[in-house]
Amino acid sequence: MPDTITLELFRYHPDRDERPRFQAYEVPFREDWVVLDALNYLKDRVDGSLTYRWSCRMGVCGSCGMMVNGYPKLTCAAFLRDYLPGPIRVEPLSGFPVERDMVVVLDDFMQKLSSVKPWIIRETAAETMASGEYRQTPAQLAAFKQYSMCINCMLCYAACPVYQHEEQFVGPAVLALAQRYNLDSRDQGNSQRYPVVWADDGIWDCTFVGECSAVCPKHVDPAGAIQQAKIQSTVGFMRSLLPFGNR
Amino acid sequence: MAKPFHRPHSNTWWLRRGPYRVFMLREWSATIFAVYTVLLLVLVSKVLDGPEAYDDYLGVLKSPLMIAFHAVALAAALLHTVTWFQAVPKAMPLRIGEEKVPPVLLMGGAYATLLGASVVVVALFLLD
Repeated sequence: MPDTITLELFRYHPDRDERPRFQAYEVPFREDWVVLDALNYLKDRVDGSLTYRWSCRMGVCGSCGMMVNGYPKLTCAAFLRDYLPGPIRVEPLSGFPVERDMVVVLDDFMQKLSSVKPWIIRETAAETMASGEYRQTPAQLAAFKQYSMCINCMLCYAACPVYQHEEQFVGPAVLALAQRYNLDSRDQGNSQRYPVVWADDGIWDCTFVGECSAVCPKHVDPAGAIQQAKIQSTVGFMRSLLPFGNR
Repeated sequence: MAKPFHRPHSNTWWLRRGPYRVFMLREWSATIFAVYTVLLLVLVSKVLDGPEAYDDYLGVLKSPLMIAFHAVALAAALLHTVTWFQAVPKAMPLRIGEEKVPPVLLMGGAYATLLGASVVVVALFLLD
């Protein structure tokens, strides 16, 4: 086992730098350290100006996603020992503008996320708390549960070549979340979502590369969700052609 | 507000990882089918032109270049078949109650259907 390992970090300071550069740092090698531990070590002891997002350290918050040797990873789940002998190159998530160092601009993702109304929509507005809870069987829950595991870490966007080249693509996580609500037996909002989801910039921009599902740390399988939505969209279109069709 | 940095996109992004390369191979191989479809349509038109024209065209198809092209087209078709069948359990997952039907079973069903259809086609050909 080596005593140290080298990290090559993407550095960009918007007020000082015209363009980004890479800076190499030596960190102690520990068997149980992840890349995030190494970044925290550097920020605490070597260079306090290093900037990155993180919170939970256990794959729940979805904040610490970065490119580790070119692959989108939660840095809290990227063990140094898996990258021996190094160096390990750490960059901000690909496909997003860089605010500073490893911090990317989230505005586009946040706007797209709210555009699919990721909450339970009821057509009957008169329902109140007094009407009681919406009941659901375990089978109805199982229909969408996988898609509800998304932690908005955006690794799937960094893995998606379509999003990298076509900014207007709604993208994997947001489409998977739309599917999560569309499949929920308590929800009645499909007709409000399909103008975004079934649009050219929605599911039909997806060419099924499939890497979004490969990099997902929560096994959400956005690629699968999008292909299912394509089938529903096609059925909806065919129905709209029928005289009595009513989607 | 300071200026965010937009990183340039490279045209060789698909060379970076194996799955991207397979994806590009799948996309490009579609052009091979376009050419194959044209050859098939020409064959149909030769049937309409009569037995002589048909035999002449069969001669063309037996040239080494054509045989090589059809071998490549077959490989491309197999790549599409495998990747398409891999997509079946993703695009059309089946649930029985809370349980997910294993993806292997759904893919197996797709291959069984392909096998069944192939047997029918071969039988029609042999019975002729």
